[in-house]
Amino acid sequence: MDNFRKKFIEEATEHISELEKALLELERDPENKEIVEKVFRIMHSLKGGGAMFGFEKISEFTHNLENVYDLVRNGQMHVSKDLLDATLASVDHLTNLLDDDKVTLQSTVDKHKELTNKIGEIIALRQAISVESIKKSKESTEVSPTAKSAKEDKSSTYYILFQPNETIFDNGTNPLYLLDEIYGLGSCMAIPHVTKIPDYSEIEPTRCYTYWEIFLATSNDVNSITDVFIFVEDECTIDIHKLSDTNLLSNKQFLDKLEELHKESKDIGINDLQAFVSKLVSSKTLKEKKAEERAVATSKENSISSIRVSSEKLDTLMNLVSELVTTQARLSLYAEKASNTELIAIAENVQKLSRQLRDIAFSIVLIPIENLLTRFQRLVRDLSQDLKKEASFIAEGTDTELDKTIIENLTDPLLHILRNSLDHGIEDPITRMKLGKPRHGTILLKAFYSGANVHIQISDDGAGIDQEKIRQKAISKGLITADATPSHKELMDLLFLPGFSTATNITDVSGRGVGMDVVRRKIADIRGEVEIESKVNQGTTITIKLPLTLSIIDGLLVKIKDTFYVLPLTSVDKIYAADHSKLVNTFNNLIVLDGQQIPFFYLRGEFDIEENKGKNEQIVVVRYEDKRIGLAVDTVIGEYQAVLKPLGKYYKNQEIISGATILGDGTIALVIDTNKAIKYFSLQFSQNVTPEDKK
Amino acid sequence: MAKTILIVDDSESIREVVSFTLENEGYKVLVGVDGKDALKFLDGTEIDLIITDLHMPVMDGIVLIKEIRKMEKYQRIPILFLTTESQAAKKMEAKEAGATGWIIKPFVPAKLIAAINKVIR
Repeated sequence: MDNFRKKFIEEATEHISELEKALLELERDPENKEIVEKVFRIMHSLKGGGAMFGFEKISEFTHNLENVYDLVRNGQMHVSKDLLDATLASVDHLTNLLDDDKVTLQSTVDKHKELTNKIGEIIALRQAISVESIKKSKESTEVSPTAKSAKEDKSSTYYILFQPNETIFDNGTNPLYLLDEIYGLGSCMAIPHVTKIPDYSEIEPTRCYTYWEIFLATSNDVNSITDVFIFVEDECTIDIHKLSDTNLLSNKQFLDKLEELHKESKDIGINDLQAFVSKLVSSKTLKEKKAEERAVATSKENSISSIRVSSEKLDTLMNLVSELVTTQARLSLYAEKASNTELIAIAENVQKLSRQLRDIAFSIVLIPIENLLTRFQRLVRDLSQDLKKEASFIAEGTDTELDKTIIENLTDPLLHILRNSLDHGIEDPITRMKLGKPRHGTILLKAFYSGANVHIQISDDGAGIDQEKIRQKAISKGLITADATPSHKELMDLLFLPGFSTATNITDVSGRGVGMDVVRRKIADIRGEVEIESKVNQGTTITIKLPLTLSIIDGLLVKIKDTFYVLPLTSVDKIYAADHSKLVNTFNNLIVLDGQQIPFFYLRGEFDIEENKGKNEQIVVVRYEDKRIGLAVDTVIGEYQAVLKPLGKYYKNQEIISGATILGDGTIALVIDTNKAIKYFSLQFSQNVTPEDKK
Repeated sequence: MAKTILIVDDSESIREVVSFTLENEGYKVLVGVDGKDALKFLDGTEIDLIITDLHMPVMDGIVLIKEIRKMEKYQRIPILFLTTESQAAKKMEAKEAGATGWIIKPFVPAKLIAAINKVIR
């Protein structure tokens, strides 16, 4: 049972988040029948499952909710704001109940009471279903199975007329099974009547013409008899009479009488018997039947199209795939050295397979960012109410997929950004009207692929950030000197410094000094970058650039002096050979390739390695923002699948190298983050050039 | 020969607990996640009983029951549906669609077996 409970919790968590999502949809489109139906269905599943797996509070609670939405569904109630508020609060409460079904925490107890009352009120308003009946139905959920004792015979005798409609077979009922069941209740005698069977030529084999008179002596009450016919009560004539409080079927006289009646008339009926029985007084014990036990033989045929796997297993899978890729590189290297054609062929095959395996394994851990959005919608909804602002949250590109580890680490920073947008960005409705903006603010989340990255943009149409304010603040904090003239971008970057907040009023929503610096750090942890762009009174856009995955990349292996480097293949555009002299004897770092002037960096120079004595070198042209930039290396070796390993803590203070990878022969190659590297190099370049220009 | 029962429910936990109970009883169990998914089993496979939930996405139980009753092979197959105490109207609707009987959720295994014994042996 524990296993089932665990499963239920997983499932219920999913249901709850689905419910939340559906409710938010409903708020936008309160007349949509389909959504109401969906809400109802989810509640129904929660209720059923809850009761089944011992989460009584959940079951009871959702039962109330379900009643409300049943009214909505039948058009007897409208989706009001009150109702949605209460339901959304209930959704949160359900999550708590899932952890604490016995309602032990005081806070849960209070909440439970409060919400139950609230929902009660909502129902009471419509008075359709009384809360009383809910309680009653709960009490009667478990009925103990019919237990029979062999001690004293307390049987009563019943007369049952069971006359099925002719069409009873049509819905899959087999009346004989019902007779079987009656036989199971006690000692029994069933007399079939076949008088209604028509002539041979008129018989319809799919019709039921037989009916039965049944005499049953049982210690069960009359309800257990009606229970037998519960499925068919509308399709049959069923007449049940109690003949006696004793067991007549063990009475010889009674049986004789039956036989006599059966012979003379076709139907026995109740009238004669009742008269006869009143004369009889006697009781004896009866035999019992026991239920058969079936042998346990199982063969499971499962055809579920998706399965649930623990994330631990996925992590292990990813690790193993990484190891496999590394091992495969060794194999390829060894095969080449051994110059054994057969071995080379095998190695190539292994390479192909491991590449496919890698891709599949990756796609398994990718999840669409849609999963995050419900929480965000909820936040915007609740928070804008608290702040007395009007704002809606729109998401685009919700099917964009990201590594699950990235998604997990992305939630908090994004929540923080959204809070900021609502608190400092979106103005209150009156201010907005004065500025000629629509009352209603909009926060737009846009996700899209861009090369090897996924970009997530959050923009609001709010107040924006005043550059001058940042400047003043930065000066007062001593971050820049009063006469410095930082660029717009540099100013915006200041917002990411620890303790930098331009909010003059500290609210409990944001502006507590724990701010954008934490956001940047958290995003950096998953190898992402954040940028802010803002215009006063037009709004703020925050762009987060994230790597698609964290562990394996397709790379281009290059060599500079004795060291191997890997450049991410996705950013590589083209590779050229270049004459050494053209690379070093240049003052503006430009080279003409394919008739185009392309800025380049001589990596030996950047890495402070002495110039290459060789004649020819190679330039790898990579894409950087919307430009093409060359990176000059000694030699290009070829494509390489790089399993990223983190660098030790001594390499923390640099951003150019994003990780390391182990080559087939065990040497280490450094993975260059081309974006960050080029950014860094150009910064250095301009710093080297500008002072001279000024003089 | 073990009897074959097809279970249709969108809730994995319900599917599992029902299959578990039935397999313990010696039945062979097939599983569908909604009405549409269940139809793929109804291709001539010998099935002795169908147990279906009513509220399901894609294709709900009522539609499924109606579909099944249209098929010659399964025209008279017993069909039980899963329902809760409170839904009298649904019961009628399902019966009219051609269901044989119902199982009230929540149920203990004994109740499930009792309901099944009403329609197959």
